[in-house]
Amino acid sequence: MIRRGRKNSYRVLRRLLLLMLVLYALFYAYGRWFGFNPEHILENSLLKKQNFEAEVQEVVSPRYKIKAYLYQDKTNPIVSMSFIFKGAGWSAEPSNQAGISALLEQMLLSGAGKYTEEQLVDILEDKAISISFSSGKDDFYGSVLASKENSTAAFDLLKTIFSAPRFEQPELKRAKERLFEALKQQQEQPGRVLSLAFSKELYANHPYGRNPLGSLQTLKKLQRDDLVEFMQKAFTRENLIVGVAGDITTNELAHLLDDVFSSLPENMKLGKVPSFEANFISKNKDIELTTAQNIAMFAVSGVARNDPDFYPLYVANFIFGGSGLNSRLSLAARENEGLTYSIGTSLGLDDKQPLLVGSYSATPANFDRVGQILLREWKDFAQNGATKSEVNAAKDYLIASYNLRFASIADIATILAYMQRDNLGRDFLEKRNEYVDAVKVEQVNNAAAKYFDENKLIQVNIGNFAKNFNEQEAQ
Amino acid sequence: MAGFAPLSEAGAAIFGASEFYLDNGLRVIVVPNHKAPIVKQMLWYKVGSVDEKPGQGGIAHLLEHLMFRGTKKVSHDKYNDVTQANGMDGNAFTSQDFTAYHQSMDISRLELAMFLEADRMLNLDLSQENFELERDIVYQERKQVVENNPAAAFNENLRRLIWGEHPYARPITGMPEEIKNLKLDDVRDFYHQYYAPNNAILVLAGDITPETAKILAEKYYGKLKAKPSPEEVDWPELKSGGATHLEMSLPRINSVRLINSWVVPAYVQEKNDIYALAVLSKYLGEGKTSKLYKRLVKNKKVALAVESSYDYGGRSYGSFSVYAIPQDGVSPQNLQKELSEELNRAINEIDDQAIEKTKLKMRSGLVLLRDNPNDAAMIVGSMAAVGMSLEEIENYEANIEAVNADMVRRMAKAWLRAENMVSGVLKPMEAKHD
Repeated sequence: MIRRGRKNSYRVLRRLLLLMLVLYALFYAYGRWFGFNPEHILENSLLKKQNFEAEVQEVVSPRYKIKAYLYQDKTNPIVSMSFIFKGAGWSAEPSNQAGISALLEQMLLSGAGKYTEEQLVDILEDKAISISFSSGKDDFYGSVLASKENSTAAFDLLKTIFSAPRFEQPELKRAKERLFEALKQQQEQPGRVLSLAFSKELYANHPYGRNPLGSLQTLKKLQRDDLVEFMQKAFTRENLIVGVAGDITTNELAHLLDDVFSSLPENMKLGKVPSFEANFISKNKDIELTTAQNIAMFAVSGVARNDPDFYPLYVANFIFGGSGLNSRLSLAARENEGLTYSIGTSLGLDDKQPLLVGSYSATPANFDRVGQILLREWKDFAQNGATKSEVNAAKDYLIASYNLRFASIADIATILAYMQRDNLGRDFLEKRNEYVDAVKVEQVNNAAAKYFDENKLIQVNIGNFAKNFNEQEAQ
Repeated sequence: MAGFAPLSEAGAAIFGASEFYLDNGLRVIVVPNHKAPIVKQMLWYKVGSVDEKPGQGGIAHLLEHLMFRGTKKVSHDKYNDVTQANGMDGNAFTSQDFTAYHQSMDISRLELAMFLEADRMLNLDLSQENFELERDIVYQERKQVVENNPAAAFNENLRRLIWGEHPYARPITGMPEEIKNLKLDDVRDFYHQYYAPNNAILVLAGDITPETAKILAEKYYGKLKAKPSPEEVDWPELKSGGATHLEMSLPRINSVRLINSWVVPAYVQEKNDIYALAVLSKYLGEGKTSKLYKRLVKNKKVALAVESSYDYGGRSYGSFSVYAIPQDGVSPQNLQKELSEELNRAINEIDDQAIEKTKLKMRSGLVLLRDNPNDAAMIVGSMAAVGMSLEEIENYEANIEAVNADMVRRMAKAWLRAENMVSGVLKPMEAKHD
């Protein structure tokens, strides 16, 4: 009896085991063939991971020893150059000339050498040459994009713009009028009003707190000679940084650098922007304005690009508010509660005061609730940090998406210029994924504890804060 | 499956693309670009806000949001986690005529993206909870993106005036009260009606050959079942009510804007007219060498800015607009008078020399379009979506070249008539005394 019983129970057990095995096999087969199995798809992918070698060469011009990074690519007959005049952005403007770099940005294409504005634009359009200038907070930027066939003409024009800008009266008048108009339209958009007020709140009288377009008063006074003088002081070989990508040889580039930038003075003469001693103490300020939605901006001190904390904070920011819909902030306020369309954070890498900065917007009825969620998540992140799986997922994204930045020749040229600006090293493109991969959970959490400090969180809001505000009526 | 379409005979193909159809009707276009090991996948559906029933404004856009909320196989969280872990940058947009979903990624992750995109074409899991969350989110989106702009009310009223009973009159987001009243069942019906392989176009642009693309498209999209083709919208005939004018003073507006608009043919109506209308727009008001800029901004100094635009890419009519900002001290009435006068003069001055010069400017930049696969996917996709053959897309240069002064003049005289013009003026609440 006992033996038979044992035999029976063995049989039952065997059948049970067999059944489980069959069920597991079915489950596995279903998952593999009918369900979603990302690992299986990747393993069997027809298109395998390729080593993308973004080889960067350093080219030095024979005469003036101008240095440039070059990424050669002959996929298409296109050449792009990106250049930076370091320290020549709008914060370096003399205060009585505020707005001069925004004016210069427009005037540089208003005629040069033998060409009037119309003739210059005509050539640019006929040959599809793009030359653009842009005044940033710390630096002044420029770029050139042209087909290989028209690249000689493109760089000749750039050379003429640097050596013989015309800055004529009718063009100057028009450029100023456009800036006056831009100043007026700036005040129409609540987001831009907030952004200006936020800078003022953070930086007070430091140049970073200025309006990038200057003011009506300062712009009105600017004359041709002021532009020439600013250019002479700001656009020099000393503070020039160049990145080039596309269908061009090292030899061609070496001679091009000497030629295009030959007229620039040797030394930078623009005054240095004063340093900024951040002493952020938590505050939350409202600006009353009738809008459909309230908007918030918030910030704490961040880190410079070369700080040892950069990569840990880069990963921390990605997890907290930098990764779009999957960030902690977005999951909590948008995906789980449907309170807002956008909420997020990013790293600001300005020279004098790097920031961890964020924003959100929501209708007045939801706005306070989103603010509560921000604070709840902020404190939790500072205290408990991220989990190992969050850090790994963030690193996976940052590494796997890295090649996406090589989509266009113009983007590559810009990256090459920034690599030099921030002293990242010529091997940066090869090493960057290693830098990200090396970030440890503890480092991320130390960065979270150090930088996500609620006692230093500055927030400014714009919108409807009066108690009797009625959203329905406001529609 | 049909064979690969031949490239254009002229040999001046802009993109060097290929195309083929799957048996289920999915059109696939491949734009090779081997600069970096990356690829962009775009899936365009021929459905947009024009397909919404009256009172259901915003349903196409809400469905676009819900497409990210998970399917029967892949949950919302899983979708987010997998796309993030694999470095995909994705998004989607809804227009009046189309809805498109797109991702950029390393080429080794393309199959994963194709699986996910094919899966959500037919297997969306539409729960009441997700529906309510996304309905709240698109309501917030409208407040943020549309209504926080102080010119929003003007823009929406002008659209109504231009388009009347036509569905182009409605905002893509829907009106706030429409959004709040949308029902899950209606979203479900909309999804089942319009999301099908035979109502979509797949564009793959990047480090991939047409041969590989064909194998992969077949593998991931080939098994999806076609559906009965959705009926095309019964476009109302547009009756011109004569010249109409809208003038609005809005709070927070600090400066005056003036706009003149005409309803004109789009590609679907007059394939042959769109190139002449595009040349006309460039000639009149695109850039600092255009006629209207030279006359109104430089010579007469009555405007600070003037620009024209022509949109041929809809499923119904196209539109042609001229936009201007008056110089300080110039009244909108005066600027309108000058603009109308200079417009007529410019049209009368159309000649071979000016048109040849304009065409040169339009053709010269085409080589640059080969650079960025992301841009290529967008351009090719938007042109294919209105029904252009690949040959037509690739032959853009030749089609522009074929335009002559007579054709441009004929278009201008036929369509930019004062009696068909809708004009609008947006201005500050009170007259400024400065």
